[in-house]
Amino acid sequence: MVLKSESAHATDPDDDTRRSLLRHMLVVRGLDEEAHRLQKQGSIDLWASCQGQEAAQVGSALAVGPDPAVFPSYREHAVALLRGVAPDELMAQWAGRTFCGWDPHRVRFFPYTLVLAAQTLHAVGYSIGQRLQGREDFVVVYIGDGATSEGDMSEAMNLAAVESASVLFVCQNNGWAISKPAEEQMRTSLAERARGFGIASARLPGDDPEAVFSACARAAAHIRGERAPYLVEIQVGRIQGHTTSDAQEAYRTPDDLARTRAADPVTAYAARLSDRGLVDSAWLDGVDAEVREMRELLVKEYA
Amino acid sequence: MSTVRSTGLAESINATLADLLDSDPRLLLLGEDIGRLGGVFRVTRDLQRRFGADRVRDSLLAESTIIGQAVGMAISGLVPVCEIQFDGFSYPAVNQLVTQAARIGGRWNGRVSPSLVVRIPTGGGFRGVEHHNESNEALFARYPGISVACPSTGEDADQILRHAVTLGSPVVMYEPIRLYWRRSAPARDPEPARSPSAARIVRRGTDLTVATFGAITHEVLEAAHALAPDVDVEVVDLRWVAPIDMNTVLESVARTGRLLVVHEASKDLGIGAEIAASVAEHGFDALRGPVRRLAPDRRTYPPANFEKDYLIGVQEIKDEVLVMTK
Repeated sequence: MVLKSESAHATDPDDDTRRSLLRHMLVVRGLDEEAHRLQKQGSIDLWASCQGQEAAQVGSALAVGPDPAVFPSYREHAVALLRGVAPDELMAQWAGRTFCGWDPHRVRFFPYTLVLAAQTLHAVGYSIGQRLQGREDFVVVYIGDGATSEGDMSEAMNLAAVESASVLFVCQNNGWAISKPAEEQMRTSLAERARGFGIASARLPGDDPEAVFSACARAAAHIRGERAPYLVEIQVGRIQGHTTSDAQEAYRTPDDLARTRAADPVTAYAARLSDRGLVDSAWLDGVDAEVREMRELLVKEYA
Repeated sequence: MSTVRSTGLAESINATLADLLDSDPRLLLLGEDIGRLGGVFRVTRDLQRRFGADRVRDSLLAESTIIGQAVGMAISGLVPVCEIQFDGFSYPAVNQLVTQAARIGGRWNGRVSPSLVVRIPTGGGFRGVEHHNESNEALFARYPGISVACPSTGEDADQILRHAVTLGSPVVMYEPIRLYWRRSAPARDPEPARSPSAARIVRRGTDLTVATFGAITHEVLEAAHALAPDVDVEVVDLRWVAPIDMNTVLESVARTGRLLVVHEASKDLGIGAEIAASVAEHGFDALRGPVRRLAPDRRTYPPANFEKDYLIGVQEIKDEVLVMTK
């Protein structure tokens, strides 16, 4: 028998973690669907969907645990809920009530940043600032593939590298910068680009939350062990448009859209855990009830 | 005579920064070449040696990186005082300043109050090459959430800096390059400003008010002294162009009845336009004649051989005052 190293053990989710991964994915899917419904009714102004990115978000957020501060982009809703942002708090800015509906300090999930990649430099600066003050300096920053074309992303990677900052860059590559396909945005992968800056990296498919969990747990171990940055590039599908204002049927083929919907990570993982006997219909009904209650609360607050 | 010896602006700011570093452990300096070299103008000379490389940080040569990481540091509870090497290099940092630094406090619903200072050497008159002579204070003055200071003496810079690091929102402070090492200055009334964010009446007069700020305050004072006693000019050094202390300007205009605004930045859509509009709105009854502005025409700052034609000099200020008081 080959013994795993301690860190390798820690990178595999146990059964409780598997159920937790699925539960968070199902809950945020329910929130995302309700947000679309509310937007169609005119109850909220806009919604940036995360459908198709749930495995990437939940897997990465659970893997790093509650300690790191998170600098999100603007569609990390699964990470937000997992960190303790209440669904109605998450919705508030999309209903024009505020620029940020939650207390960022309480949940250590900082406000959404709508100017692309601006938060990457904040994340590195925050990590350096924390380090200088002798406090927890592990920081996670989320970014989409489109935003990686911004200069701030390259500047942040270089700064993190030369400062050896404890920053995990999580790039969710959903293949589209609104209507610009990834193959027209870059000639190398993000993971390869990161290595050019001297940042260790990994690239993986984002359909399996367990694989994401393991990769991000390894990344976190690297960051804590080496006190150096790391980048994970997670390839995800984009089931909905860029936002509710987008008409992706105008630039994506029906085949592409059908393939993306068929590869839905939420239904796939629910089926997998059912097949493995890790969840049963009673467990799934329980989550359903939780989702229903959340949706009713959102309707009451926003409709 | 009406000229006095003074400490150079660079030396004065250096002393203030050293004192601030000494008294507040949260404060750090961040900028290009400010550590080992002490800054291209030596404003931060010896500070890295005294306070260490953690607190006097030589940044990468990337202005967005400077301000972007300073925003993150400020969220973490530090007080970054950044230096942009020259006014004309501030543009890559505009996004981080305008869309981020200026809005972070509001976006966090007041749960963070980032004190973040950006020092920018500014202005011409020293035969600088292209992009080294700009005056772009009106650009940042346009944005809510950013305060903009333009001190003309070391004493004012000291008061402004000490105020800026406690403000809880970003401050851009413009430092006139041609005053960094100048050791003589026209005499000023010793009367202090009413508050750290107020304008300062640096010469009392009865016939006409000149509102001005930054390096050109010296030319205005020189002109005012030269015109006395025939014309008695009151000079208001605004010190801040965002927000502008209009009360001091309006009170002065109420006494003198005439207002001339002088600045080094080009005239169109500038600070002078804002002051003229405010006086027209709130001080019209006091005016004995039209408000006028004296500032360069709207054109790019020229190569050094032509900067004398661009900059406003003492003679032009005197001529303008005489026309207005004829």
